[in-house]
Amino acid sequence: MRRGASRTVVILVSLVVGILIGASLGYMLAPKPQPAPATPTTELDKLKAENEQLKAKIEELKKKLEATGEKEITLKIWTIGPDPPSEYRLKNFEIAASMLNKWLAALGSKVRVKVEGEFFVRPVEWGEYKNKFYLAYKAGKAPDIYLTGHEDVGFLAANGYIIPLDDYIKEYWDEVYYDVIPTLWEAVKYQGKIWGIPQDTEARPMYFRKDVLRALGWTEEQINELPEKVRRGEFTLDDLLELAKEAKDKGLVERGILHRVKEGYDYFQFYLAYGGRLWDAKQGKMVFTKSAWKKTLEWFYKAVWEYKVISPTQFSGDWDKDFHEPFTKGKALFLSGGTWHKGEWISKGLLTEESFNENVGYMLHPAGEPGKKPVTLSHPLIYTITKQAQERGVADVAFVLITMVTDPHLNSLHAIKSSHLAILYSEISDSRYTKDPFLADVAYMLDYTTFIPNHPKWGDYSRIVFNILRGVESGDLKPDQAFNELLRQIQGLGSDAVIIED
Amino acid sequence: MKHKYLLFFLAPSFLLILVFFLIPVVITLLISLTDMDYSFQWNWVGLKNYEEMLRDPIAYKVFQNTLLYVFTTLSLFNVGLALVISLITVHIPERVGSGFRALWLLPRITPSTVYALLWLWAARQDESALFNWILGFFGFEPVNWIHRHPWLIVILVNGFVGTSFGMIIFTAALKSIPSDYLRAARVDGANTFQVIRYVELPLIKWPLMFVTAYQTLSLLTSYEYILLVTNGGPGYYTTEVWALYSYHLAFAQYGGIVKFGYGAALATVLVVLGLIMSVIYWRVFRLKEMMLEPKIEV
Repeated sequence: MRRGASRTVVILVSLVVGILIGASLGYMLAPKPQPAPATPTTELDKLKAENEQLKAKIEELKKKLEATGEKEITLKIWTIGPDPPSEYRLKNFEIAASMLNKWLAALGSKVRVKVEGEFFVRPVEWGEYKNKFYLAYKAGKAPDIYLTGHEDVGFLAANGYIIPLDDYIKEYWDEVYYDVIPTLWEAVKYQGKIWGIPQDTEARPMYFRKDVLRALGWTEEQINELPEKVRRGEFTLDDLLELAKEAKDKGLVERGILHRVKEGYDYFQFYLAYGGRLWDAKQGKMVFTKSAWKKTLEWFYKAVWEYKVISPTQFSGDWDKDFHEPFTKGKALFLSGGTWHKGEWISKGLLTEESFNENVGYMLHPAGEPGKKPVTLSHPLIYTITKQAQERGVADVAFVLITMVTDPHLNSLHAIKSSHLAILYSEISDSRYTKDPFLADVAYMLDYTTFIPNHPKWGDYSRIVFNILRGVESGDLKPDQAFNELLRQIQGLGSDAVIIED
Repeated sequence: MKHKYLLFFLAPSFLLILVFFLIPVVITLLISLTDMDYSFQWNWVGLKNYEEMLRDPIAYKVFQNTLLYVFTTLSLFNVGLALVISLITVHIPERVGSGFRALWLLPRITPSTVYALLWLWAARQDESALFNWILGFFGFEPVNWIHRHPWLIVILVNGFVGTSFGMIIFTAALKSIPSDYLRAARVDGANTFQVIRYVELPLIKWPLMFVTAYQTLSLLTSYEYILLVTNGGPGYYTTEVWALYSYHLAFAQYGGIVKFGYGAALATVLVVLGLIMSVIYWRVFRLKEMMLEPKIEV
């Protein structure tokens, strides 16, 4: 009996051990299940994944906000047009805050985010807006989010006005920032760190009146071919003068070429068209190309005093009477403007979409001479977070809001209304964005664009050029005189700021 | 005890001068010794800004502009026209004279931006703009006045505002001349011009000198109408005056990058120039005598 019982025990133990060994071997040898694919397969999956990630972030944010013990977090945001149609630079934050508050409510939080924003328009210009910011900052009343031009990054960062955003961007990369058009990141970098989030960008086309060209005897085919000729470098700045003169001489227009009536950066396009360089990335310095400046000043002098196609009073003019109206009424052939001007004309009622498409064409700024390239200039605007926002403990919320407005749908609201260009790849295919053929048509211009230098002395460079050009157009300075004066003043900025090359 | 009362009554005005003049002057002087920009850093650079000013050809041009502006506006309008209007309006019936003077106060009481806009509209190139519309009747071609004759417009704009101050002072002074003097002159056979030349002008010597001194200093530091009408243009610093140059550098650049240090150095020069001019006027015009108590009781 005992022997029979012990045999049974041995058999049972052997069986259990056998099962265990078999199971272990089976587990080790069995093929492992594949991990879930890292990249979502469909657009819907992608959207779902982004939403889930954002939801998780909002939950984290909710905990942080509740920890502060406050019921309402107010964020102060400053933005500027100065063109009125760019109002979504602020409005999008109001939309985003209302979305954020709905999410917070859905998550059971009682904390709410309130946006206290300013959107400045003309007569407030950029200089005044920036001055206001610096003085407000000094008084301890700076906004938490500050919209500015990318060229200010160096100055703002070096002087501790704004905080670096690299860690935030890393954290929220998969939500939206992977989608930002990469060249725009270059515009917001300073000393290896990222200090702002791109808000928009633009191209600066040379607009032309198709109806005037028709009256000059051009066929539709010739008119439609003009932008392409410019792109190929077959139509130069001198051709522009000739054509403008012809239209003026024949009494078809009162003015040949219009340019902005106040200081700005547009004039540098003519210098770039003559092969001038603005920025040396290796040395981190601005550049003054002598030959290009010489030709640029000669061109402006010729345009005003020989061809008489630019008015000598253009610089003392009025935005409406000397810029928008003569062109939209067909009294000028060319206008050196920006993509946003199309938005301005439509929203001001100066043109309709139909009359714009029928009578207005757009091309790059032509090359200065054969062999040179046509150009445009971009000036991306950026959202920054101030150090005072960090000190107030609202930098996290500020960044969540910036992330929410950096959204293809919200950003296209701005792009469409103000005729600015997309900052995200997915925005280009957004249903709103694609409805405006103009934005798609000018997209190629970004291949020919230059950003203005991100250097603390850029404002000085720009001011000197503006005053000299004003002197040339008014007839106070002859091209040679103007060049010598320009060179002398630029040299005064110091060799640590500007490289002077032949 | 008497001094205690004096101190009490002088304290408010002394405080005002201290807060609104002396302290700003000292701060401006200190900033002018730095290269301060919008980083608000007090980087001391000694007299570098002043050396830069001496090498700055624009500063020379601006200085010449300032002399032209101050001298012309002062002589033609702030003193010249003010005196003419006062003399004419006290020699015509009172009601008409008062009405005419009231008209000349309009530029002064109109808000400066509105006043400047009116000039901009009046001087535009359009045929319908006021100046061209009037000249059109005489067959003249329309002209962009601000571009073609910027100094004429700048001087007129400032002169029309500046005239009212002298006009009020001179009129008050002329009216305070005892009528016995004027009657006596008439009895002696003097005509109107002789009354003005030999009786009235000598008797309003002090107000004339005071207005000249005061308006020189006022014009030296004024720039707002030039800013609004030409903004220093239309050409290469065509109508940029010293105070406007300082303002442009310190506050008003398109890119928002500014030079507080250099701007403050320019402003300091203006303060020093003002002080020198005050001393010169004090001495040359013997303004001290004007402040003295009369030697005889009248």
